[in-house]
Amino acid sequence: MSAPVPARPVEFRNASIGATVAVLRETRPHLVADALHKMLGGMPDFFNGEATLLDFGELGEAPAQIDWAGMLSLFKRFQLQPIGVRNLPPELATSARQAGLAVLDGAELRDRQSGGPAIDSVAVRQTPDEPTPPQPVPEASPAPIPAPTATMIVDRPVRSGQQVYARGGDLVLLAGMSNGAEVIADGSIHCYGPLRGRALAGAQGDTRARIISTNFGPEIVSIAGVYKTFEQGIPANIAGKPATVRLGGDDNQHKLGIEPLALD
Amino acid sequence: MTRVVVITSGKGGVGKTTTSAAFASGLALRGFKTAVIDFDVGLRNLDLIMGCERRVVYDFVNVINGEARLNQALIKDKNCENLFVLPASQTRDKDALTEEGVEKVIKELEHLGFDYVVCDSPAGIERGAVMALTFADEAIVTTTPEVSSVRDSDRILGILQSKSRRAAEGREPVKEHLLLTRYSPKRVDEGEMLSYKDVQELLRVPLIGVIPESESVLHASNQGTPAIHLKGTDVSEAYTDVVARFLGEDRPLRFVNYDKPGLIKRLFGGK
Repeated sequence: MSAPVPARPVEFRNASIGATVAVLRETRPHLVADALHKMLGGMPDFFNGEATLLDFGELGEAPAQIDWAGMLSLFKRFQLQPIGVRNLPPELATSARQAGLAVLDGAELRDRQSGGPAIDSVAVRQTPDEPTPPQPVPEASPAPIPAPTATMIVDRPVRSGQQVYARGGDLVLLAGMSNGAEVIADGSIHCYGPLRGRALAGAQGDTRARIISTNFGPEIVSIAGVYKTFEQGIPANIAGKPATVRLGGDDNQHKLGIEPLALD
Repeated sequence: MTRVVVITSGKGGVGKTTTSAAFASGLALRGFKTAVIDFDVGLRNLDLIMGCERRVVYDFVNVINGEARLNQALIKDKNCENLFVLPASQTRDKDALTEEGVEKVIKELEHLGFDYVVCDSPAGIERGAVMALTFADEAIVTTTPEVSSVRDSDRILGILQSKSRRAAEGREPVKEHLLLTRYSPKRVDEGEMLSYKDVQELLRVPLIGVIPESESVLHASNQGTPAIHLKGTDVSEAYTDVVARFLGEDRPLRFVNYDKPGLIKRLFGGK
């Protein structure tokens, strides 16, 4: 007697997971171990078997070889489960694959930066599920983002204390928003009416996102994590008028430009 | 059909209770059978403003807890035939209000044939205020012409559209009205206060009326007479207009313009 065989013993599906990214600036296992020990001294169980990506993007000088076995056992000792590597010098890719690690390039990854404490040889970054607030140090995301699809339309005013998040697409506000409200979109934000609270577009890092309003007066605007506040007031040529916000050209992705918008 | 109207604001001291008393009295004067409920459990005031504090035997919480029947707790108003007051308890706190309990009381008022139930909301955005607006069909958001009051009203409008039964059940949203109180055309003229147009622009809610700042409100409160009964005062006139507009009548806006005193008036004094 054997158990019946299912019609499709294997099925492939697409999924995205949240992984911890360990940015390594050192590859000698004993030095990394020292740093981790120092960082997590009292809490060897701080991590909980989390899937971990080893990122070599900030490595100073590429070593001739990496002790993969040592690295893997080291991370496992700290309850981290390395699943792959990225930003690895190409000559080391084969050895990583032989060690059972997936070699991922930038196109497969999306990463949102968070300003966690970095120590000399290792920094751990978390890629959260929720959009993080804009970071003080603007950093354009390296990976191209898939085109937004779903558009979210809000018919009523977004009031103080309310938050609206258009996941994976554009956000259209048909009755404006108030001070103290927050609207977030992975794509662009289009606001017909007063834009008065916090407007964060390109929350997953889409640098092409824009914020468009017919009555510009926000507390803060942000695109792909690059933000601008208006402590000195909003320039008179756009205050209360139609305006559009976008990131500067290719040479300067780190500056938000706000321009008046001509409506007929 | 009973209509439930909540008088709310977020901020305290803007005239919610004064408005609840005057508005409920105004509806009753128009012949509608009206109940006004004090949701400010622990800090009850409505009975004072309505001048019935000495007649409170049972209260709203007693009815919710089944310790008294609704008929025993409803106090008949001394001025209006059709008006009844359901006072708050002074000795409990807002946790005594349960959604089921409030719903039961409102359903019972419906059975008793009330046309309007006016809910006087406490300040804040916590349980008491949320309970007061949960069953609302319409809301009168009371605001003074100050930035902080406007901001708090904006917050309560958001809560109204997310936490009310109508919102939860996906029915037609709660109908919003904006009421400006303590309005001083003189101070607006001098740039010390937001104008009613500014406030309306900020909140984007239809204006149902402007109540001028007036000493008669204080007198009315101290006497225990709702301000609408002070015949001949601007406050009474303004509240009468509010009730008329609420019932769908068209009334021009009054008490919003400041007439600079002329030379004669300045020479011979007078306010």
